[in-house]
Amino acid sequence: MHHQFRSPEGPIEVTVAKQGDEWSLGGLSTSVMADGRLKIVSSDGRISFGHVAKVGDVWWVHAEGHTFKLERIEPGASDTDDGGGLTAPMPGKVLDVLVAAGEVVSAGTTLMVLEAMKMEHRIVAATDGVVMAVHFAAGDQVEQGVALLTLDES
Amino acid sequence: MRGVVSMVRKVLVANRGEIACRILRACNEAGLPSVAIYAENDASSMFVELADEAVLLTGGTIGETYLDQDQILAIAKSTGADAIHPGFGFLSERADFARAVGHAGLQWVGPSPEAIEQMGDKMTARITMRAAGVPVIPGEEIEHEDEADALAAIEAASHRVGYPMLLKASSGGGGKGMRAVHAPEDLIESAKGARREAIAAFGDGRVYLERLLTGSKHVEIQVLADRHGRTIHLGERECSVQRRHQKVFEEAPCATMTPELREAMGQAAVAAAEAVDYEGAGTVEFLLAPTGEFFFLEMNTRIQVEHPVTELVTGVDLVREQLRIAAGEPMSCGPLMMRGHAIEVRLYAEDAANNFLPAIGPLAVFRPPEGPGVRLDTGVREGDEVTPNYDPMLAKLIVWAPSRPEALQRMRRALDEFVVLGTTTNIRFLRELCDEPEVITGATDTTTIDRIWPNGWQPTVPRAVEDMALMAAAVAESAGLHRKQSMASTGGQGAPSPFETIGRRFP
Repeated sequence: MHHQFRSPEGPIEVTVAKQGDEWSLGGLSTSVMADGRLKIVSSDGRISFGHVAKVGDVWWVHAEGHTFKLERIEPGASDTDDGGGLTAPMPGKVLDVLVAAGEVVSAGTTLMVLEAMKMEHRIVAATDGVVMAVHFAAGDQVEQGVALLTLDES
Repeated sequence: MRGVVSMVRKVLVANRGEIACRILRACNEAGLPSVAIYAENDASSMFVELADEAVLLTGGTIGETYLDQDQILAIAKSTGADAIHPGFGFLSERADFARAVGHAGLQWVGPSPEAIEQMGDKMTARITMRAAGVPVIPGEEIEHEDEADALAAIEAASHRVGYPMLLKASSGGGGKGMRAVHAPEDLIESAKGARREAIAAFGDGRVYLERLLTGSKHVEIQVLADRHGRTIHLGERECSVQRRHQKVFEEAPCATMTPELREAMGQAAVAAAEAVDYEGAGTVEFLLAPTGEFFFLEMNTRIQVEHPVTELVTGVDLVREQLRIAAGEPMSCGPLMMRGHAIEVRLYAEDAANNFLPAIGPLAVFRPPEGPGVRLDTGVREGDEVTPNYDPMLAKLIVWAPSRPEALQRMRRALDEFVVLGTTTNIRFLRELCDEPEVITGATDTTTIDRIWPNGWQPTVPRAVEDMALMAAAVAESAGLHRKQSMASTGGQGAPSPFETIGRRFP
């Protein structure tokens, strides 16, 4: 079966084939255990055990002491990100807005200060650009993922 | 109150999460009935289950719940509790609350309000320590509440304290309101930020300037004092490895400690405790300079997050001793005996690869390691939700082994076994930390993390493991494991009930 997962470098295509109770991909073969874990055998005979759980569209996988978040791209869905937007990395409160719409900023400029869990977090311009819009004011509560400011990259 | 034996028959735990679980279990083991208090969003939290009784706090914010002194005292009264254990954080270092507890005729599990005041105010603490012959770091407190006055005073004081310096909230803790300032041009912005955080976290914008002693270790001494004239130290913990001024890796003993230095620091800590007529468990924090000189930082007048490492190397149950001392009994421990090595790491719901940003989400899988020498102190279990409402610490993983290299190896093994899915954690960061040369040799200081990863930490993932993970996700999706998981979580078709087979029927 064919699946696509999102990655910073673009979608990754994974095709697994099933024969009996065994799934295979290249030199790896995998079977599903009674408790829902996966037994993964490498081409050199080495055995690993993977834990998996799906939350939303994301498969969380633990293998060999590493944890992965693999977002599955539903067949037919587009792979476009909203890009350019500066979004809230977590739910919190806007403490300070340091720029206004129309202002020219350089990469590294602090644009906004958020507070969450009693700690401050700075929203910093990743590139040079012009602030097109500021969507929140000091004191506003923001949800995770909302666009805080719009920056026109120059 | 000294010398008076006050019976303790029922303990109210004025805290939540991991430390509430720790204290409630100690009450259970001591044969003391316990009362938990909880906010509505904690109704299904683990600590609520561990108490004999649990009472819902009315109100939505932390201020209206875990910090509402009147409400907590009313619950103590209505449930017949005669002692209050504050844990750490929340009201644990609030002298006014300790005093109100005493006035209500209840026993405070901790030192007197006067001792909390003397140590809680950093300026008074410094003066007290100097008088007791304990060395202190060059520093000044800024008393001004008004922003403009405070900033001017900070500017003036900066010339006397010298760079690099540390700005700290006067009534602070946990790294909140703390800023390192390396150059004069950064001073004002840092001071504004420190004051803002201090006001938000503690309702008190006063800050304290202190010379930053680079290359120093953070070494703290655990003390215990009872009402029978005994004040002892239980050796040191090293907690140098910190990120954003919060400890993440703590151990006992300190790798570079000598018996002579331990004795000198221990005596200084005992002198500090005796200077304020201390009672209960407390921690005296020092900076240990590369020269072997040590300086008093502050005294924490409560049980500390990292207390388990001391418990594992000394064999003393610190929370049990707190309860014993609060009841007016003598402490039960004999002379100090340290054995083996213990390490604690703090598991946070945070994205270590993204500047340690707090993370939220479900604990879809939460499988802690097991086996010899492994202890887990946590307040969560599988199925819980990590929310932004409280501190993002999920658990403390503590290991003990006969030697430091073996303890480090045990920690690596335990971290490799630890599976948390659904919420991003710092497990991999902690695991890679265990492989850093400075950590292996014990040559850590308070700048270790910033020095190893000046541009932030990124995980090193072998290509072969990445391939395994992709395959696992593809197989899991193909095999429909997510549908099986959701069936299991709704309880669908579980194992048949044993009651049916033994012919038992409910009326």
